[in-house]
Amino acid sequence: MHIAVCLCQVPDTASVIGFVEDTIDLSRVNEVMNPFDEYALEEAVRLKERFEGSVVTMFSVSSSSAKEMLRKGLALGGDRAVLVSARELPDPFQTAMLLSRAITGFYEGALPDLVFCGKHSTDFQSAQVPMMLAELLGISSVSAVIKLHASAEGIEVEREIEGGIEYISVHYPVLFSVEKGLNVPRKTTIKAVMEARKKPIDVLPVTISESPFVTITGMKPLVRKKTCRFVTDPSELVRLLSHEHALF
Amino acid sequence: MNTLYSEPIGKRGNHTTMTKWLVFLEQREGIVKQSSIDAWNRVQELAALLPGTVVYGLLPGPASIGQLEGRLAGKGVIYQAGEERLRLYNPQHYMRLVADTLTKEDASTLFFADTALSRDLAPRLSVRLQASLLSGCPTLDDTWPDDGGCRRPVYSGSVIASFLPLRPLRIYTTSSRPTHSAAPFDASSGAHIAFVALEPYAITGEALFPLVRQLAMHKGTTDVAEAGIVIAGGRGMGGQEGFALLEELARTLGGAVGASRPVVDEGWRPHAEQIGQTGKTVAPLLYIACAISGSPQHLAGMGSAGTVVAINRDPHAPIFDVADYGIVGDVHIVLPKLLEALQEFLQKK
Repeated sequence: MHIAVCLCQVPDTASVIGFVEDTIDLSRVNEVMNPFDEYALEEAVRLKERFEGSVVTMFSVSSSSAKEMLRKGLALGGDRAVLVSARELPDPFQTAMLLSRAITGFYEGALPDLVFCGKHSTDFQSAQVPMMLAELLGISSVSAVIKLHASAEGIEVEREIEGGIEYISVHYPVLFSVEKGLNVPRKTTIKAVMEARKKPIDVLPVTISESPFVTITGMKPLVRKKTCRFVTDPSELVRLLSHEHALF
Repeated sequence: MNTLYSEPIGKRGNHTTMTKWLVFLEQREGIVKQSSIDAWNRVQELAALLPGTVVYGLLPGPASIGQLEGRLAGKGVIYQAGEERLRLYNPQHYMRLVADTLTKEDASTLFFADTALSRDLAPRLSVRLQASLLSGCPTLDDTWPDDGGCRRPVYSGSVIASFLPLRPLRIYTTSSRPTHSAAPFDASSGAHIAFVALEPYAITGEALFPLVRQLAMHKGTTDVAEAGIVIAGGRGMGGQEGFALLEELARTLGGAVGASRPVVDEGWRPHAEQIGQTGKTVAPLLYIACAISGSPQHLAGMGSAGTVVAINRDPHAPIFDVADYGIVGDVHIVLPKLLEALQEFLQKK
């Protein structure tokens, strides 16, 4: 089975996002693998271990270097890595275009049987790239998968929606974006990290030829500080919530 | 594309050109989602500010029209594709329905409530229709149509970014809780909405798309992402048993229980209840944070809540910085008292 996994980098949640004058400053940010992509990679590696002869190839579009992250991916069970190196920051549509081209290029016009992505990146949380990529590849897709059972014929998955669960059957080839809870990702071992150093990372420099669909015109720090009024008596709190806020 | 799009919507001097908007109405088990109704009403409010704007609706799947009576504001036409095979979400059929309706009405903007369904469908539509997609927009400002941009928090809620669509056709997934509207639109007065049933049509290439075989809704509970009141618990609740109190509170207030990440990682509560960066983003009217310290990851998921109450033993817990009201104390002592006070208050009412 050919399995593709899309990975991206996000700022570590402990990182401080600063501003220099009015411009966002990401220089002090530590970039890590998007947490949802860890579940995507783990699921791909588990399927590889179940279906003999499978190969897991990781794809990442990055304007900075994502080599370290891809090395980690190799240590976690990925077999090959393709870094699509773009000079400017692409929007979700452009990212999906670049991924789609990298994937069809890598598989020489054929399609992988499975494509895994994280549900969304934790930095922008748009959740657009995975389903856009499926549309561009012309394959079916299911987003936010929380359970997956694959057989040779097809795949049964579950997706969480507001207040319920959808039970879905789907055939290959298919793209899944995965939700937390699908699996518990393994940790890297020293041996795996050493071996990962020997595995290749293909670097694919690209120029973006499509125009973006959406642009970001500005970013500002968001301060949400409130003045907390401390109360000691819960009945007083109930009274305030009712009288001042008409909550019940 | 046609000349309708040659100028920004708000700058158009003469209103003889009509601007058309389409609102997607989502049903689950025949019940139209409140979030879709909120989106429709908010869009109507905006349309009323812009003469020459016409609003259409699209409701796929069988759902009684009666349930909408008195709940939809404004005027317009709602197309219903009431076929049984559209009861369960089917991306292929839904995508074609939306695309056909947009084309037929020559609409320039498509609105979805921000749900699991729209997050699945909208990106594919964006590519297929070459449309700008702005996901997760909070309630659109009254000044919104000027450039069609939307501002929303990014980077765990520490930054607010302004997104601008660059394509003439635009898709928004938006959370339009009436909580954000200072003067709620009166849905019952002067509404004039026509319902038009769409003809069923043949669809080919069935096998290409995933098939939702079954939908199982959790009975008798409100999803934490849709609840008006959320009672959330952190690790300090001490264990699974500690949440019984929160459930009781949620029942009393008609709200839902939420959880912080450590609680879900410990297996005390399901992931569906997790609030925060790797969980859900919620914006209830009232958020009661019980024994939650308030990590940046957690705040990312509840930063847009209306009134926030925090109960924590540690007076320096960061959660108090984003709270309107605070009680410093042990949840196991404070919560029973709060529950009692609430029950007493509600009985008297």
